Amino acid sequence: MYDLSESRAVAATGMHTQARRLRLLSENIANADTPGFRRKMVEFEAKKEGGVELGKVHLDRTQLPQVYDPSHPMADETGHYIGSNVDLLIEIADAREAQRSYEANLKMFDQSRKMSSSLMDLLRR
Amino acid sequence: MTIAATQAALAYSATRPALTPEPGVGRTASEAFAGTAQEFLAQMQHGEDVARASMAGQADPHTLVQALAETELAIEAAVTVRDKVVEAYQEILRMPV
Repeated sequence: MYDLSESRAVAATGMHTQARRLRLLSENIANADTPGFRRKMVEFEAKKEGGVELGKVHLDRTQLPQVYDPSHPMADETGHYIGSNVDLLIEIADAREAQRSYEANLKMFDQSRKMSSSLMDLLRR
Repeated sequence: MTIAATQAALAYSATRPALTPEPGVGRTASEAFAGTAQEFLAQMQHGEDVARASMAGQADPHTLVQALAETELAIEAAVTVRDKVVEAYQEILRMPV
């Protein structure tokens, strides 16, 4: 039974990290129009005792685009202001991937729970 | 070779010390059962604490689901073992004297 409950714990860490990843993605999407915002990125790391955890959150260091909008309150003489380097397409694709990974971990959790339960059922007549 | 009944009885009583448990090694049956019951209660208590914290918005929902799943399986195991013990007891009662 210990292996099965350990697999549940590992699936729980997977779900937890995917949820945190989704939170970072929502921060990026919410700040897509904020001038000077750099998108946050994070990598996954394997835990020693099994499972996954998030590494350090760091900022994307690519160059910020110059957006042309003379009516913007922060526009300079040429009518440009510094935008944010959030690409909505990338963020939404990452969000889809996070959702699929979350569902896969959830299935694993449910699977190991069903296996433990059916093992107990053997003893009932 | 005939073995007298008295000699057989003497040999039987000579092997009796091998059946008594050594003091200080392992647990007696009642101690083992009490330890298991306490571990089971600790598991239930942990599940209740996580549920209470999660209702107040303090705990992570993944921790809650994991704790409740473990508690449910522990209860299932305890109930199954209890049923087996009761069934064995009833079998023994049904033995013709």
